[in-house]
Amino acid sequence: MIELRNIHKTYQKRSKSIQALKGIDLKVEQGDIFGVIGYSGAGKSTLVRLVNYLEQPTEGKIIVDGRSLTEQSSKALREIKKDIGMIFQHFNLLESKTIYQNVAMPLIISKVPKQDIKRRVTELLEFVGLSDKVMSYPNELSGGQKQRVGIARALALNPKILLCDEATSALDPQTTQSILNLLKRINREYGITILLITHEMSVIQSICNRVAVMENGKIIEEGTVLDVFGDPKHPTTQDFVQTVVRTDIPRNIKANLDKSGITTLTKLEMVGDHATQPLLALLIQKFNLTVSTVFTNMTEIQETTLAIWYVDIQGEAKDKAAALDFLDSQGVRYQEVSV
Amino acid sequence: MFETNLTLEQFAEGIQDTLYMVGMSLLIGTLLGSMIGIVIVVTKKDGIIPIPIIYTLLNPIINMVRSIPFIILMVAIIPFTRMIIGTSIGTNAAIIPLIIYITPFIARLVENSLLEVGPGIIEAAESMGATPLQMIRYFILPEAFSSLILSLTTATITLIGATAMAGTVGGGGIGDIAIVYGYQRFDSFAMISTVILLVIIVQVIQSTGNRLARIVRHR
Repeated sequence: MIELRNIHKTYQKRSKSIQALKGIDLKVEQGDIFGVIGYSGAGKSTLVRLVNYLEQPTEGKIIVDGRSLTEQSSKALREIKKDIGMIFQHFNLLESKTIYQNVAMPLIISKVPKQDIKRRVTELLEFVGLSDKVMSYPNELSGGQKQRVGIARALALNPKILLCDEATSALDPQTTQSILNLLKRINREYGITILLITHEMSVIQSICNRVAVMENGKIIEEGTVLDVFGDPKHPTTQDFVQTVVRTDIPRNIKANLDKSGITTLTKLEMVGDHATQPLLALLIQKFNLTVSTVFTNMTEIQETTLAIWYVDIQGEAKDKAAALDFLDSQGVRYQEVSV
Repeated sequence: MFETNLTLEQFAEGIQDTLYMVGMSLLIGTLLGSMIGIVIVVTKKDGIIPIPIIYTLLNPIINMVRSIPFIILMVAIIPFTRMIIGTSIGTNAAIIPLIIYITPFIARLVENSLLEVGPGIIEAAESMGATPLQMIRYFILPEAFSSLILSLTTATITLIGATAMAGTVGGGGIGDIAIVYGYQRFDSFAMISTVILLVIIVQVIQSTGNRLARIVRHR
């Protein structure tokens, strides 16, 4: 649906040139909720703006829904933009216009007949749950309601893609969750592909199926959310994952381990059904091992459970090897870690 | 002190002349000034229709005209005024320099008002696939409307001040009365009453402007 090929973007500021993007390759499939996460200045904001050509790449190719944006006339580009909705961190609503007029704006621009505009706007406001605010002005609304208006406006022309630029970053956690649920509904009910950027891992955790981590204008890690959360490779990714899933051993537990002289633990990573099966009990019974749990963390991601266990396995070496083979056969990822 | 040679009719006529001069020059000045203001905003280097050459040309012209004091401008363009109106004396003749004086002023005010519209609004318009003209019509102008009203209020008050000077070319109006009767004939009543009247007019215009701006703002 969206493909970025070797994208470079350099800004010229006075005599200095700033490289915002340094060779980005990215593919977002139809129906994805694709999250791009990074600290501020990583280039994610530039990246999302390339997809609807609010920014032009210095180098590289952008293909959206089979059309290469770099080879379009400005007229053709305007038509392509109508297939791509966008919502913003600060909503960007017209304060001088009513909610109705705000949502109607993309339709007015596309010269949709008046009666059709009325029907569509009513439908959209109902979908986002703001039917009673038709004649209100943006400043009479809360942040969450404003973002709902933004979403209704972005959906007005039935886009295939929705771009979200830090759409929940200005909202409190509760409102964030309700906006995220709405985005999820949009993805499910309308099959709209969503590309969102954020600096909050919890956003990725609750709605994305794929994630890319950006740093210094590059994508440093990419994959399904389950894979990246379960086994983050890059230190920055690990930092992000840490904010929602504790994958390292808490300090006080570590101190206890030091005292008891334990130097290596086994880290088990279980997804879905495994996370709730009595695997440890099986290890004890079947393989004659002593298994003690040092630290566990369970998180819900993508509506499945990701469980991370740190266990201390004591027993015969061959029993231990057999046990690990068994875990492997059960699809449990394991790793010896030194404390 | 209350002895005066000023008749009520003269006074009424003065008010009428002032309103006429201000009204005409404001109308034409607003049309021209807004157009120029919009053009310089959109043709800027980072504007929505960047044509830097237009901006680079218009910008110093605006500054040039604005740097000439009205009283000098009025005299300097007498030949031009005579060419258009046929005479350089009277209320109609005063309107020409008033327009030339106020147009670049309004252009600057309009420019400032339009620049207040945040880049986020422009970005939203762009993301909807709006054409540059649609952006101006549906996004920039409505969002700047409240600020534009305040700008025009300022312009109106500036014009009232300028019409007083128009009295020196026989432009008529309240300012003319103040100079001819109040200043030249030492008629204190004429002087004080015209000043009070001007104060009231300015107050009314400013508070009306403020109220209108608040109504359209919805903030």
